[in-house]
Amino acid sequence: MLEVDNLAKHFGGVKAVDGVSFRLAKGEILGLIGPNGSGKSTIVNVIAGLTAPTSGRVLFDGADITGKPTHALVAAGIARTFQNIRLFGQLTVWQNLWVAENRQRERALPLVPRWLGGYLADRERIGAMLEFSGLAHKRDDLAANLAFGEQRRLELARALAAEPKLILLDEPAAGMNAEEIYELDGRIRKVREGGVTVLLIEHHMELIMAVADRIAVLNFGQKIAEGSPAQVQSDGKVREAYLGRAV
Amino acid sequence: MLDLLQSLADGLLFGAIYSLIGLGFTLVFGVMHKINMAYAAASLAGAYAGLTLIKLAGLPAWAVIPAACAAGALFGVIIYGVCFKLIPLSHPLATLMSTVGMLLLIDEIVVHATDGMPVNYPTFVHGMVGYGDFMLRGDLMFVFFVALVVMAGLIYLLFNTRLGLATRAVSQHPVAARLCGISLDHVNAVTFTLSGGLGGIAGALIGSAVGMLSPLLVAPLTVKGLIVTVIGGLGSIPGAIVAGLLVGAAENLFQFFRGVTERDIYVMLLLFVFLVFRPGGMFGTDPARS
Amino acid sequence: MDFYFGLLQIIGVHTLLGLSAYVVLLTGQVSLAQAGFMAIGAYVAAMLTVLAKWWIFPALLAGGAVAGVVACAVGFPALRVRGLMLVVATLAFGEAVRLFFFNFDYQIAMGGIKVGPLGGEGFRQIRYFPENGYTTFHVMVFIWLVVAAVMTALWWMDRSRAGAVLRAVGEDEMAAQSAGVNLTAVKVTAMTVGGCIAGLAGGLYAHYTTHIEQGNFNVLVATFAIAYPILGGLSNVFGTLAAVVFIQAFLVEGLRFLGDWRNLLFGLLIVVSMNVRPGGLIDARNWTQLRALIGSIRKGETRARLEVASGGIMSAVQRLIQRWRGAFGA
Repeated sequence: MLEVDNLAKHFGGVKAVDGVSFRLAKGEILGLIGPNGSGKSTIVNVIAGLTAPTSGRVLFDGADITGKPTHALVAAGIARTFQNIRLFGQLTVWQNLWVAENRQRERALPLVPRWLGGYLADRERIGAMLEFSGLAHKRDDLAANLAFGEQRRLELARALAAEPKLILLDEPAAGMNAEEIYELDGRIRKVREGGVTVLLIEHHMELIMAVADRIAVLNFGQKIAEGSPAQVQSDGKVREAYLGRAV
Repeated sequence: MLDLLQSLADGLLFGAIYSLIGLGFTLVFGVMHKINMAYAAASLAGAYAGLTLIKLAGLPAWAVIPAACAAGALFGVIIYGVCFKLIPLSHPLATLMSTVGMLLLIDEIVVHATDGMPVNYPTFVHGMVGYGDFMLRGDLMFVFFVALVVMAGLIYLLFNTRLGLATRAVSQHPVAARLCGISLDHVNAVTFTLSGGLGGIAGALIGSAVGMLSPLLVAPLTVKGLIVTVIGGLGSIPGAIVAGLLVGAAENLFQFFRGVTERDIYVMLLLFVFLVFRPGGMFGTDPARS
Repeated sequence: MDFYFGLLQIIGVHTLLGLSAYVVLLTGQVSLAQAGFMAIGAYVAAMLTVLAKWWIFPALLAGGAVAGVVACAVGFPALRVRGLMLVVATLAFGEAVRLFFFNFDYQIAMGGIKVGPLGGEGFRQIRYFPENGYTTFHVMVFIWLVVAAVMTALWWMDRSRAGAVLRAVGEDEMAAQSAGVNLTAVKVTAMTVGGCIAGLAGGLYAHYTTHIEQGNFNVLVATFAIAYPILGGLSNVFGTLAAVVFIQAFLVEGLRFLGDWRNLLFGLLIVVSMNVRPGGLIDARNWTQLRALIGSIRKGETRARLEVASGGIMSAVQRLIQRWRGAFGA
C-alpha cells in the first residue's frame, strides 16, 4: 500500500533522513521507532505532504505521491495525527470533526443534494465518530476546554473522519498514563479492524511491541533494522542505538 | 542623463531617512514580533515637539535634533506602555489595532496643535557642493551624514554592548532569554525608547531636508516606512538600511520618469515585486512568522 | 429626521465594509485593502449608472463583481505573504488603488456637460437616487436591505461547515491542511468574497453621497474596515454591527460637542477599547453567555429569577417611598 523509496531529507547540512526505504502492506500496523532526532517525524511530514523530500519517492497504492499537497493526499486517503496535538481550540468538538469531513465532498455528488443531503449525512458520520471516541457528551464544548486525554481522542477522531486508507500516528501515546495507553492499544486495533493501515511512531516500547505487526528502527536518519517485534528486540544494532556500545 | 544621476543621488541621500524609519519598525518587530503602526506618527510628533522645545527654551537651531530624539524616545515609551504592555499578548489583533488607534490619535493631536498648517523647520548646511552641473545639496548631505552616524551608533549599541546582546537574545528566543535572567519588560521598553529616539531624529531630519513639516506626511511616511521594512526583511537591520536607500533612490527615479502623482504607485509596485519574488525580504529571516 | 436617516445610511455602508474585512479576518488574513476594493466598486457602479445609464441593482452587482475579481487576483500573491507582511502589502495595494483613481480620467459629454471621474476632483453628479425619486428614507431602506441580505448570508455561512473551515484555517493552517482543507481555495475565496462585499459597500456609498473622490478611500477608511470586526469581536457578525453603531454613534455625538476632533476621539476610543476589551465588544465568551441566557429564559429559570429579583426591587422601592414619606411628614 505504501512504499517509501530511498527517501532523503536534508535541512542544509543536517541529514534528517538519509536514504530510508520501507514498505507497508495493506491492513498492517508498522511501527517506526528510534532515538530522538532519528528522523521519524520528518518521514511522517514528508509522507503527509507537509515537506518535500530532498530525494527519493513515496508511492501510495502504486501511484507516486511525492511532493503532492497535503489536502490532495487526504483526498487520496492518507491522514495523520500530530505529536503535539493540533486541534482547532476555538472550534467545538463537533466543528473540529466537521472540518475534516472532506472526503465526501470529493465524491461525485451534484451540488444541491451535496449541500442539503450532505449535511444530514455529515451528521450521521460525525455522530458515529463521536460515539467511537467517547466524546458524544462533549459535542458542543470548545476543543481547547477538553481534558488532555479527550483531546488526544479528538485528534485521532479527526484523522479518522477523513475516512483514510492509511493513517500516520505520530507519538499518540505521549503524555499518557498506563490506563490511557491500554485504551489507545484497543483503539488502534479497532482502527485496523476497520480496514485502515497504520504507521505508528512511538517511544513507548510496550505499546509498540504489543500492537505492531512489524517494526522499523531508525537512527541518525537511516534504517538500521526491520522485522517482527521479537526480531527487533534482539537486534544488536538496535540495542546499541538506544543504550550505546559497551566500552 | 545628468538630471537622472542628480535625481538618483538626491534620492539616495534622502533614503537614509527612510532607512532610519525602517530601522525603527524593524527593531520593534525583531524584539516583539509586532508592528508599531504608530511609529511614523510618533517620529513626526517628536520632530514637532523638538521644535517647540527649542523655541520655548531659546536653544540654538542644531539642538532640535537631540530635542526631537528625546521627545521621540518619550513617545516611544508611552506607546509601549499603552499599546503593548497592558494588552495581553494572547490578543495580537488587539495590539495591532491599538497602535492604529494611537496613530490616529497622534496624527489628530498634531493637526490640532498646529491648526493643520505646515511649520517651518530649521535647515542646516546651506549651499551645495558641485562638480560642474552635478550638485549635491548640502542639506541633504548633512541629513545623510547624521543618519549614518546614528545608524553606526545603533549598530555599535546592538552588537557591542550588553544591552544590545540582551535585545538580540530576546528577538531570537524570548523564553530562553527570560530563563537567562533578562527582563523582557526592560528590553522591550528600551527597544521602544531606542526606536522612538531614532524616529525623532528621522523626523527632525525630514523637516530639515524638506524645510517644513506637515501632518500630511504621516500617512505616506508610515506606508513607505513599512515598505522599507518589508523589502529589507522584517527584523533585519542591514535590510532596513539597504532597503531605505533603495526606496529613496527608486522613489526619485519614478518621479523623474513619471512625475509626482504617479510616483507612489510605482513604489507600491516595487513592494509587490519584492513580495512575489522574495517574500522574506532581502535579508529576511523567516517569512512564515507572523 | 433626515439627519438620522443619513446616519443610518452611514452605519449601513460601514457595516458592509466591516463585514468585508470580517470574512477575510476569519481566515487569519488581516487585510487593509478593503478600502481599495470599496473604491473599485464605487467607481464601477457609479460609472455604470451615470455613463451607461444602468439600473441601480445590476450596477451595484457589477461593482461588487469587479471588486471581487480584483480581490481574487490579490488573493493569490497574498498567499505567499504571512501575518504582518500581509498587512503592509494590502495597505500598499489599497494606497495604489487610491492613487490610481487619483490619476483616472474618463469623461463623456452628456446633455451639454461633461460627466465622469476626473482625477483628483473625483466623480461628481452621481445622481441616480435623486433622479429616480428616491428620498433619503428610501435610500436608507435600500441600503439596509442589502446589509440585511449580506448579514443573513454570512450568519448562515458561519453556522455551516464553511464557517468552521474558515475559522480552522485562521487558527492553524497546518492542522487544517492535514485535515484535508485546500488552503489556497479557502483563503482566496475569502478574499474574493470580502472584495465583493466591499465593492457593494462602495457602490452604495457612491450613490448616497453623489460625489466620490480618491480621498474617500484612504488609509483611515481601510483602518475603519478592520477596526469594526476586531472591535466587535470575530465570533459572529453582530459584533461588527455593534462596533459600527458604537463608533459611529460616539463619533456623531462627539461631532456635536467637539467639532472636528472626532478622529482624535476615534483614535482614543480604539486604544481604550483594545485595552479594556481585547477580545472585542462581543467576544466569544459573551456569545456563550448570551446563548446560555437565552436558553435559560426559554427554560423559565431566568424568568423566575427575574421575578424574584424584580419582586425584591419592588418591595425595596416601596420601603424607600415610605421612608421618604415619613421624612417629609406627608
